[in-house]
Amino acid sequence: MSIIETNELVKNYGDLCAVDHVTLSIGKEVFGLLGPNGSGKTTTVLMLTTLLCPTSGTASICGYDIQKQAEMVRSMISYVPQDMAVDIKLTGRENVIFFAKLYGIPSPKDKADEALALMELNERADDLTRTYSGGMRRRLELAQALVHEPSALFLDEPTLGLDVAARKKIWEHIGSLSRRGMSIFVTTHYMDEADRFCDRVGIINNGKIAACGTPLELKAKLMNDVITVKIEGTCQPPDLEGVWYVGKHEDEISFTAENGKEALPTIAEALTRNNVKIRAMSLREPTLDDVFLQAVGQQEEPYGFADSKFRIMLRRRK
Amino acid sequence: MRGITTFIQRDFLRWERGRVAVFSALVMPAAWLIFVGLALPVKFTGNYLDFITPGILVMTMLSAGLSGGALLMFDKILGFLNKFLALPTPRESILFGKILFITGRGLIQTTIILIIAVIIGASLLHPFQYFMIYLVLFAFGILISSFATTIALYLEDHDSYAAFNTMISMPLFFTSSALMPYNVMPSWLRTIAVLNPLSFAIDAIRDIGYGIIPLFPLAMLVGLAGFIIFLCSHVFRKVTI
Repeated sequence: MSIIETNELVKNYGDLCAVDHVTLSIGKEVFGLLGPNGSGKTTTVLMLTTLLCPTSGTASICGYDIQKQAEMVRSMISYVPQDMAVDIKLTGRENVIFFAKLYGIPSPKDKADEALALMELNERADDLTRTYSGGMRRRLELAQALVHEPSALFLDEPTLGLDVAARKKIWEHIGSLSRRGMSIFVTTHYMDEADRFCDRVGIINNGKIAACGTPLELKAKLMNDVITVKIEGTCQPPDLEGVWYVGKHEDEISFTAENGKEALPTIAEALTRNNVKIRAMSLREPTLDDVFLQAVGQQEEPYGFADSKFRIMLRRRK
Repeated sequence: MRGITTFIQRDFLRWERGRVAVFSALVMPAAWLIFVGLALPVKFTGNYLDFITPGILVMTMLSAGLSGGALLMFDKILGFLNKFLALPTPRESILFGKILFITGRGLIQTTIILIIAVIIGASLLHPFQYFMIYLVLFAFGILISSFATTIALYLEDHDSYAAFNTMISMPLFFTSSALMPYNVMPSWLRTIAVLNPLSFAIDAIRDIGYGIIPLFPLAMLVGLAGFIIFLCSHVFRKVTI
């Protein structure tokens, strides 16, 4: 059964299309929306959390329409935005009780204790949040979001700016919440994290969903082996049997092949024949990075930086 | 409305923990009361302190309101507002909670100023008169805090808002009836002073002191406050969709 449903969701900022006919169906799982900065991840989340009206299309959470039944939607969800917003002059416990009261929970103190314990913050619960580390603040925000046991949890870049250990901890908590039957919608641009911790991922680029499925499925689509070649200068990808060109990232070009070991010398020969100087070659299993590269194309900005469009986006987003 | 009291509680907790700000806001009106109210040699009244106290009370409320205007803007800049807006509590309760907090905080500050005024020699009034004074200050507080919040939400930038704040507060005070009665003002100033909303509040409090119930200025204040709240919720809805 799907909890979050979107149907041809569109959001335009002037003539900039931030989200372009996005159709998704998310059940009780950890769903990761991946994409480069400015690809429409946050805009999608803002629409699903009723903070932004879509230009066209519909979406629903637990069957409630995000526009017509916005208040019901808000009682089913929790939203943790990108910027860490906890009151530093309040203690951890006060921060959580505050949210529990706003959700209208009958016994806010007990519920807050429960949520704090779940996020392993009970020992520091009575310290001012000012003294918390970045990872603890993030966990505190999760505790705030959990206190009313939402059906759907929206996390916008939950691991941004955290160190490796803190990230791992956040993802472990996300996993355990999903096992409790919560639908979790995460945006991130860390491919390796999504690969390891998301049940399903959607890759979004320029507002469009470029690929969607489990990380395994997506990688399987890319065949077995990935060959990366570090070259000097530019080159025209050679046309070889059993070898497919994936994409280019900085000075590295990637191929995929059914049998990587055999493809290695073939590729090397073909490139040398085209007078391309090879610096290094490697053979490995595909990662989500490769999927991403194939779906999104070159990571460099395809067109020049459009200052006016950027300004329009900033203004609307605030 | 559900949530208003919770939002007010949060702001009071945060205010009380920022200890310096609690006192620093009182220094300016207290200085006016003491250094101007006690020291200025004036001829039009026997007890200038009694005359100037209503003006200083309104001034305290004015600066409380203007400085509070930035609160909702900061909640927005720092990302709190987005979290609040995604809550099932009615969205207007965020705005009304803020306006009531700013007004409530202003009332606490004016109470302290009032006590200082009485200690240094202002006449004691009947409890009902004090009740009426609080009513006027409350209406004025709602007016000024919703006005300041509207401007801050509209400007969306704390530098511009601080500039606006300094630009408006002193001229508003000097062009009101706070420091002198209308009959000793130059005529150009009188015209401005009669139209200044600060004068409505100040005149109302003065009337209460003379034993008159100030129906007209109070009605004007309540009407104005209602109008500004209407504008403010309109701007609030616009910035939050």
